[in-house]
Amino acid sequence: MPARRISLSSSITMRPNLDALVPAYVREFEPYIPSKPDPELMKLYGCRQLFRLNNNENPLGPPPGAQEVIRRFPPPHGALYPSGDSFYLREAIAAFHGLDPDQVLVGNGANEVIAFVIKAFCEQGDNIVTADKTFAVYEWVAVFSGIEARVIPLRDEGFDDIGMLRAIDANTKILFVCNPNNPTGSYWSRERLKAFLDAVGGERIVVVDEAYFEFVEREDYPDGVSLLSDYPNLVVFRTFSKMYGIAGLRIGYLVGDLAVVDMIRRTCVVYSVNRLAQEAALAAFRDDTGHIRRTRALVRESRAFLHEELAKLQLPVISGEGNYLIVKLPGSDTLAYRKMMREGVMIRPMTGFRYPNHIRVTLAKMEAMEAFVAALKKTLA
Amino acid sequence: MDEPRNRTLKLCLTARPAYLSVVTRFVEAGAAAFGMGEKDALKLGLAAEEIFLYLCAAVCPGNVLDIECFNGLYYTRLTFHFSAPELHLQGLNIAPTGTCEEESNLRDLGLLIASRSVERLHLTVEKANRISLAVTKEKTYPKIAERVPCPEAPDTLTLETADGEGVKRFALLVRQCSAAPGLPSFFDCPGRLADMVAGGEYRLILAMNAKKELVGGVLFRDRTERIVEAFGPYILHTGDGKATAEALLDACLSRIARTKALGLLSLSGLPAALEDRFEPLGSSIFYATDRPPAEHPFFFRHLHEDPGCEVWSQGELTAWLERAYDRLVLARNIRILRNMGETRSGFSLFSTELERERAVATLRPLLPGADFAANLERHIRFIRKEGFLNLFFELDLGVPWHAEMIPVLAANRFQPEILLPFAGQADLVIFQHHDATEP
Repeated sequence: MPARRISLSSSITMRPNLDALVPAYVREFEPYIPSKPDPELMKLYGCRQLFRLNNNENPLGPPPGAQEVIRRFPPPHGALYPSGDSFYLREAIAAFHGLDPDQVLVGNGANEVIAFVIKAFCEQGDNIVTADKTFAVYEWVAVFSGIEARVIPLRDEGFDDIGMLRAIDANTKILFVCNPNNPTGSYWSRERLKAFLDAVGGERIVVVDEAYFEFVEREDYPDGVSLLSDYPNLVVFRTFSKMYGIAGLRIGYLVGDLAVVDMIRRTCVVYSVNRLAQEAALAAFRDDTGHIRRTRALVRESRAFLHEELAKLQLPVISGEGNYLIVKLPGSDTLAYRKMMREGVMIRPMTGFRYPNHIRVTLAKMEAMEAFVAALKKTLA
Repeated sequence: MDEPRNRTLKLCLTARPAYLSVVTRFVEAGAAAFGMGEKDALKLGLAAEEIFLYLCAAVCPGNVLDIECFNGLYYTRLTFHFSAPELHLQGLNIAPTGTCEEESNLRDLGLLIASRSVERLHLTVEKANRISLAVTKEKTYPKIAERVPCPEAPDTLTLETADGEGVKRFALLVRQCSAAPGLPSFFDCPGRLADMVAGGEYRLILAMNAKKELVGGVLFRDRTERIVEAFGPYILHTGDGKATAEALLDACLSRIARTKALGLLSLSGLPAALEDRFEPLGSSIFYATDRPPAEHPFFFRHLHEDPGCEVWSQGELTAWLERAYDRLVLARNIRILRNMGETRSGFSLFSTELERERAVATLRPLLPGADFAANLERHIRFIRKEGFLNLFFELDLGVPWHAEMIPVLAANRFQPEILLPFAGQADLVIFQHHDATEP
């Protein structure tokens, strides 16, 4: 049979037919547009300094050991590939939790591990169940992957376990619980989480996102990792972006049952976590200088200050665990964002979290908290 | 309801007068199959005839023409898709470009004549001179003025999505309870509103009291890809309606918070209790033949953080924009367009959207040209002569060449009235034409 001759040279520019090429669930999805870099925002809003109170970053930065790693990172190492599966970090995490290193997967921030899990378990026709007012990325990744996201309204500002269980059907693959919840700070106790896991049974994956785990000081707050041996369908997320202060390096991880993680690993992109992030995370994890204690003290002080100031302004507050709280405003949160930006204070308007007229503010150093209160008073005047 | 693609009929042919009967039969039969009355289907057929002959003669003779007939449930939309040489694009201006302005030269008036038998005419130009020319004919519905009892103020509220009967009852109650001067006329026809919601372009959230009585509702639709327009919330019970209005607005915002929408717009009146939850954009006076002029305030609710952007301006508009951006606290980098003597060739093209029911004509610049001023003057004359009392011009501040129109607009009695954030590639300024005869 003669070979077909295919001409590769053509002067015609063929534009791809994106309507035919791109699945409808991708075409319809609105890409998230992140904030502009600080200098651009400062120029746009005409402010000389900017207090970043929108992303729940740790104002103390990384622990001292991690700071030292970042300072001393040898520039020639920029040319070398990192460990493809974060070998040493996984060993340290596993040792800390008493797990096998193969029960740990490290990703380029918790956002990436969310994608790993959805890709591993869901296909067209499946659904995930989570809350309507929680971290948006579970819903986003599901939707732009063609997976239905069933978002259950919060009850008393917390995840509604009964509502979530009712939403389960034969196509439900994953239930995402943010514990404590971002943005409300509510949490499920150990008993409530266990009851939920018992009710779900082993047929589905339950993800407990503990991004703010290290901030919680309540006795009944559960360590999800300690439940893994009883619930092999449980997957727990942690991050180095919040308490450990290396959000800029993008690194987070998940832990789970050996067989479950083995499946998730198949969808995991190796080499996605850079060398500096792995080394800084390792140093942060080994911190023995009291970084967590110092951060918690700062958060406590700021929370108490804001509670007092916001009460004087007669503004309702939703405040639980984590390094943030929500303030209900008498008017538009997005307008408040713009007005406060002019004063050099960046908060998170909450309409996108389905909390219209609410703002979320990161609990940070007193100087920033005072600037926030002053800007808020001016905004409301 | 079927997916939009399952509600579309397509005809592919070439633009030759010999095919005229094929086109008119396709359109009339399609409209009838979509449930349009005979009179409405015939009017759409007439519009199709005018447009087809005009395209054959003046715009894309002999070229491939795709015609789509879309069932919007309460309307049928006919869209002509074609490509045309640049030289012929000026012919798509609704006002004729020749010196003859008499209707005896019917060939030049094809689009205008077509527009007379439909509710809406709309033109878009995509890349490579790919044109879409759409006309919309709405179904005729009976007006119903039946009175229904108003429920009492609710102790508890539940919010739900409406079914057909719920939509009709909502329309009746809104007509009865709302005194808003800008109340849309579709509330006169409950059946029409039911079809608008069933067709999927409008969404409705209803508030019910403990007795399952309808106590309020908010209707909303995508006005553009980025802007959602809200009608209401309407409070349908006696007593203080603040809690009901807030619950409905929050439900509407929650539905659209994680969509493509950047803003929520209200043009038809807000409950006073909600005005501080929106940003006032300004107001426009709307004129009508059967009632006194009415001022319509525009309210906006931004849904996200303002990322800031660059906008183009020149002349007196710049000071107006600076005041507007300061008042609205929007971060914008205003860039000034400067004429440095460069040559502008070619003929400009405007899209003219005509809404006969409200006597509104809206011009949008589609292609730049050296004849901006003459073209605009022609459009003003023709649109006024057609009896449109409200003439607007939308300028996209994100498109640099649009700013070339600013002095031309000022010279032709167009004044900037409303700034719509993010309604175009950047913000949109709506200019209103003020006739010399206005008081």
